Amino acid sequence: MWDVWLPLAEPEQAHGWRMIDPVRLFLLILRATLFSTGGSGNLPMLYHDLPPLGYASEQQFAEALAIGQVTPGPTGLWVVSLGYLVDDVRGALLATVAITLPPLLILVVERVYRRIGTHWAVQGFLRGLGLAVAGSFAVVIVGLVQGSAFDFGSLLIVVASVGLALTRRVPVPIIIGAAAMLGGFLYR
Amino acid sequence: MPLFSRQRWETRSKANTRQDDTALQPLPLLPLLLAWLSIGGQSFGGGSSTLFLIRRVIVEQRGWVSDDEVTKAWAICQIVPGINLLALTTLLGWRLSGAWGVVAALGGLLVPSVTLTIVATAIYRSMQHLNVIQAALRGIIPATIGLGILMSWQLAHPLLRSSRAENWQSLALSLGLLVGAALGVVMLRMPIVLVLGAAGLCGTFGYHWLSRNKPTGGV
Repeated sequence: MWDVWLPLAEPEQAHGWRMIDPVRLFLLILRATLFSTGGSGNLPMLYHDLPPLGYASEQQFAEALAIGQVTPGPTGLWVVSLGYLVDDVRGALLATVAITLPPLLILVVERVYRRIGTHWAVQGFLRGLGLAVAGSFAVVIVGLVQGSAFDFGSLLIVVASVGLALTRRVPVPIIIGAAAMLGGFLYR
Repeated sequence: MPLFSRQRWETRSKANTRQDDTALQPLPLLPLLLAWLSIGGQSFGGGSSTLFLIRRVIVEQRGWVSDDEVTKAWAICQIVPGINLLALTTLLGWRLSGAWGVVAALGGLLVPSVTLTIVATAIYRSMQHLNVIQAALRGIIPATIGLGILMSWQLAHPLLRSSRAENWQSLALSLGLLVGAALGVVMLRMPIVLVLGAAGLCGTFGYHWLSRNKPTGGV
């Protein structure tokens, strides 16, 4: 169980679906959240860890991300949706606790930051970490393209959703809702 | 000085909404809980709309903290692991009512939103076998991918802009870390945590080396 904390531990390969160990699921989500910032920053590590264990499929990641966009609260609650998809209410509650604990560190960070926040080592590390999160995030998004039935219509929806989001005038739930209706029209 | 110091609280309270004799007393938990419940239940649209609602309810309607304090707190929340809005909620809850304020604020924000997320996911799962739901999902997934691409850019853009303002060597290092992390995951199949840690260390020493060698000129 504790090997999830070993940085070099590759997840063991699962053969098909397996029973979920709730403690392991909790620790994996907690670790991914501790090593990332922002609501979706834990996506790359979870995408790397959960499918090989047989805990979640690529499709479930896409579904959870979509549901997280249309429900209230931070979009980071997509992990709660993923937890429900893979382990019902227990998974959702474990995910909720796992994503709630790391932000509590703000109470420590706020005191320390005033003293060392401008130190070159802290600044450099945070910048490098942020760039790596962005780079690996893009990789995961491309992975979602490969894992879905992607065609010309899908490409049009990608372009349209980016364009609408860039205007900052169309709320995200509206974009998702419009995409759902377009999907229902195109693929039914 | 801590972000929310005793002195700052006294000064702000005297100038604004609360009476002097209550300035250092924690807020009652019930109004705090109700305020965060209202935020948690109506913050459709993700982080930006949630932040907007926090400002409107906590700053404008209740006057519990100043806009400036929220802005500074938000900046520090960017470096905390996990969801920045939960860090901001924690900080504001602590600021207003101590440890129980954190419980009330986080509970108020999360109970409605997590409940609705679970309900929405349960409804989806019960209907996902229907053709119309599958078709809708085939539309939603590309939209999520599009928003994800945008999110990736939004994560990288402020960091690249800072590097660009410094000099071209800093920008080159930042681009190298961005692309290197992606390649490390795709080509070398390195564990993500190792990629993140290595990038952080490269950033620590790389930017320091550049600053000591004083390259000149912005891009």
